[in-house]
Amino acid sequence: MKILVPIKRVADPDNANKVKVAPDGSSVTSEGLEWKLNPFDEWSLEAALRLTENAAEKSRVGEVVVVTIGPKDATQTIRQGLAMGAERAIRVEGDDAQLDAWQVASVLAAVAKKEQPDLIIMGKQVVDGDSNVVPQYLAELLGWPALNYAQSLTTDAEGKTVKAQRELDTGVETLEVDGPAVITCADRILHPQAVKNGVTPDDFTYPAIEGGRYATLKGIMKAKRKPIDETTVGDLGVEAAATVQYTAFELPPARSGNTTFVESVEELVEKLHADAKVL
Amino acid sequence: MTEEKMPSFMRSLCMGRIEQDVLLPFPTMRDGDKEMLQGVAEALSSMLGAHEEDFRRWDREGEFPSEYIDELKEFGAFGLIIPEDEGGLGFGSMAYSRALQEVAKYDASTAVTIGAHSSIGMRGLKLFGTDEQKKRYYPKLSTGEMIAAFCLTEPGAGSDAASIATVAKRDGDDWVLNGNKLWITNGGIASFFTVFAKTDASKRGGMTAFIVTTEMEGVSVGPHEDKMGLRASSTTTVNFDEVRVPADHMLGEEGQGFKVAMKILNSGRTGLGGGSVGAMKKIIEMATAQASERKQFGQAIKDFGLIQQKIGQMVVDCYAAESVVTLVAGLVDAGHEDYAVEAAISKVFATEALWRTADEGLQVAGGNGYMCEFPYERMLRDCRINRIFEGTNDILRLFIALTGMNGVASELKELASLRKSIFSHPIKGFGVLSDYATKQAQLRTGIRAEGTHFTRLVPELAAYADSFEDATRELATATDRVLRKHGKGIIGKQFATRRLAEIMIDLFVWAAVMARVNDAIAAGADDAEQQREILHVFAGAATKRIRHQLRRIDDNDDETLKSVAAHAFELGRFAWDTI
Ligand SMILES: Cc1cc2nc3c(=O)[nH]c(=O)nc-3n(C[C@H](O)[C@H](O)[C@H](O)COP(=O)(O)OP(=O)(O)OC[C@H]3O[C@@H](n4cnc5c(N)ncnc54)[C@H](O)[C@@H]3O)c2cc1C
Repeated sequence: MKILVPIKRVADPDNANKVKVAPDGSSVTSEGLEWKLNPFDEWSLEAALRLTENAAEKSRVGEVVVVTIGPKDATQTIRQGLAMGAERAIRVEGDDAQLDAWQVASVLAAVAKKEQPDLIIMGKQVVDGDSNVVPQYLAELLGWPALNYAQSLTTDAEGKTVKAQRELDTGVETLEVDGPAVITCADRILHPQAVKNGVTPDDFTYPAIEGGRYATLKGIMKAKRKPIDETTVGDLGVEAAATVQYTAFELPPARSGNTTFVESVEELVEKLHADAKVL
Repeated sequence: MTEEKMPSFMRSLCMGRIEQDVLLPFPTMRDGDKEMLQGVAEALSSMLGAHEEDFRRWDREGEFPSEYIDELKEFGAFGLIIPEDEGGLGFGSMAYSRALQEVAKYDASTAVTIGAHSSIGMRGLKLFGTDEQKKRYYPKLSTGEMIAAFCLTEPGAGSDAASIATVAKRDGDDWVLNGNKLWITNGGIASFFTVFAKTDASKRGGMTAFIVTTEMEGVSVGPHEDKMGLRASSTTTVNFDEVRVPADHMLGEEGQGFKVAMKILNSGRTGLGGGSVGAMKKIIEMATAQASERKQFGQAIKDFGLIQQKIGQMVVDCYAAESVVTLVAGLVDAGHEDYAVEAAISKVFATEALWRTADEGLQVAGGNGYMCEFPYERMLRDCRINRIFEGTNDILRLFIALTGMNGVASELKELASLRKSIFSHPIKGFGVLSDYATKQAQLRTGIRAEGTHFTRLVPELAAYADSFEDATRELATATDRVLRKHGKGIIGKQFATRRLAEIMIDLFVWAAVMARVNDAIAAGADDAEQQREILHVFAGAATKRIRHQLRRIDDNDDETLKSVAAHAFELGRFAWDTI
């Protein structure tokens, strides 16, 4: 089974207060920021790795290809994906801060056509732009089924059919699709028994983790030698124009940081209405 | 590898020469390595961070569960210094030391388990192993399938390693090994032992190093020792009873075992140094948080001068330790061969800086520091051993001073023999004598002679360079004086030797700090001014300590103190009471 996992770097969400807006409001500046892998992408990469391994025997049985659109610096993020266990990587040269969701989806569609994966597993959104539309655009462009917010995934050993569960307000829904398909995951996908691939014994239990698996030192060294294909939007023949124009950026007003303790619910409502003006 | 052989910085310094090319540029990692190490540090902290609670428990239980050791193997923690094409990570000294720094932030027992494997256990193989030996053992050592241990210490042979009683007798194609080793780190989990045994009974120190594995019959280990600190790391006896070791398992040459042992210890020092720095960084993080949160007398205790003094000193100590450890690691990576004195200084300074920091960090935390709920007390217990193993800091001080003075001693010896032959070779003799006389005159008067001054430092550091040069002249003069006074008898003059060692330690650490700050200023680092402040504090304190030591060379109470000790030894107890 071959799985394509689009990944993107984001400014360290734990240091979001360091994000700055250029004085003229035309852009968000990323200078001096530490980059991290988008947390949603970490989950999908973890799910993809689980689907392509025999966890009991610690062996790989499929292929995971990570793809990112970004400048040369983004290679560090790719290496992280490779160190976690992906086999290969593709970097499409581009300014990740300037592209809109339609352009990203168009580039990914071109990559998918070339790579012909059995599945694309990706984050439902990126924590910087938070648009949550790329997976849907991508499925549409490819004419593949889209399956959002999977909390469990079960494939047959060939990875041709995928059974997924997702939580709705009314209960848990079980869906089955034939690949290729575009899948996004919810955080429950990290549950020790959420992913089954028909190769790892069904009773295998993964350790409980919060993000993706950690890269081991061996993984990091191996990643140095794994291939990274570099390509460009032009080489991929993508000509999508931006559909969203950014007009201005501004930082949210600084919070006052005052804490007020109230004695009763009445007082709380009164304060929210009169002082905070949110009611 | 450097083209020409660089001299030992300290040996030259004792002769009044400042080998600034050894210091500058201050070693840095290549960009590619930096990026990779960032990844390594992150990987280590995610792996170890998940065990923070476990580390406390394992310390109490006094043992790591075998699943954890397996996790370390799986992670690749045992392959750090093994070449990449042999399945390891191929780390040089700087990268290795930096990796251990990260480990020590979380758990000293883990750091020592990894360190005893890489720093000493298998380092003999790396330094002296034949291709055949390496091919045979590297793959298993890199995955941790074999964990390594270093077996030198015995019940009767600690600091005096040359006095070991374990023997190896040649019998056909084998050596037959008999003896008992004590306090061997990783003893209980290792299957690869670097063992030192006597092969020439007629000679003191006539010993040889061997690779011994648990596959050989007659190797056994004792139970886990119950220790003050590093409780989860395995420490056991290792016993050899008629063990037949094939001759091709010899490490290095027959009879060279003592040299092999010393080279291993020298080469591995930056591991312990890196670990010490990591623990200091962690303590500084905990103590600053604690001092900011804790309120007494209506304010955060961080506002009190006495707390600020402690935190400031911790930062200076940590910066200095990191500088000296990094400099030594850089020297090793650059292919210097003559770095034993400098490596010993880095071990002594870093392990004592950590001890001070752990002690003061605990003090900042107050009663909480004494509670097992917080890591302070464990870190204090764990780091105490650093001043004892891999050579006690006392023995290392003697080594630093005596080896540092070597150059001066041989100059003096040459001088003495020349003096004798001066009438048979008046011209040659006179030339050398006047050379030496000129040099001594320059030292005393501070006249600028080539090689006795810094020329490559940024102007901002001129004042520190001046006082460093002054102290260097004083050191060279004092070394000369002490050696002339005691000659060979210096070996028995430990009070005097130690004073010179203290001066040498301060000067080398100072030099390392100065080189690092210099490069930060030259590169226009944002925080260069803060780094200069650290140098300012260190240089000021070192100058005072050095002056004190120099004064005490001639004006001291050594004999009186010896007499006080002699009295106690005679009685075997403290003689007084107030009842
Ligand atoms: C937890 C732990 C782990 C260890 N791991 C290992 C290991 O993996 N492999 C290994 O081989 N060993 C190991 N050791 C042993 C360690 O290296 C020795 O303890 C150390 O070398 C000191 O030897 P000793 O304990 O016999 O002390 P001694 O040599 O008896 O020294 C006692 C005191 O006398 C001082 N002293 C000794 N000689 C002189 C002198 N000439 N002049 C002035 N002062 C002197 C010492 O500085 C010290 O203060 C370990 C020890 C411990 C506690």
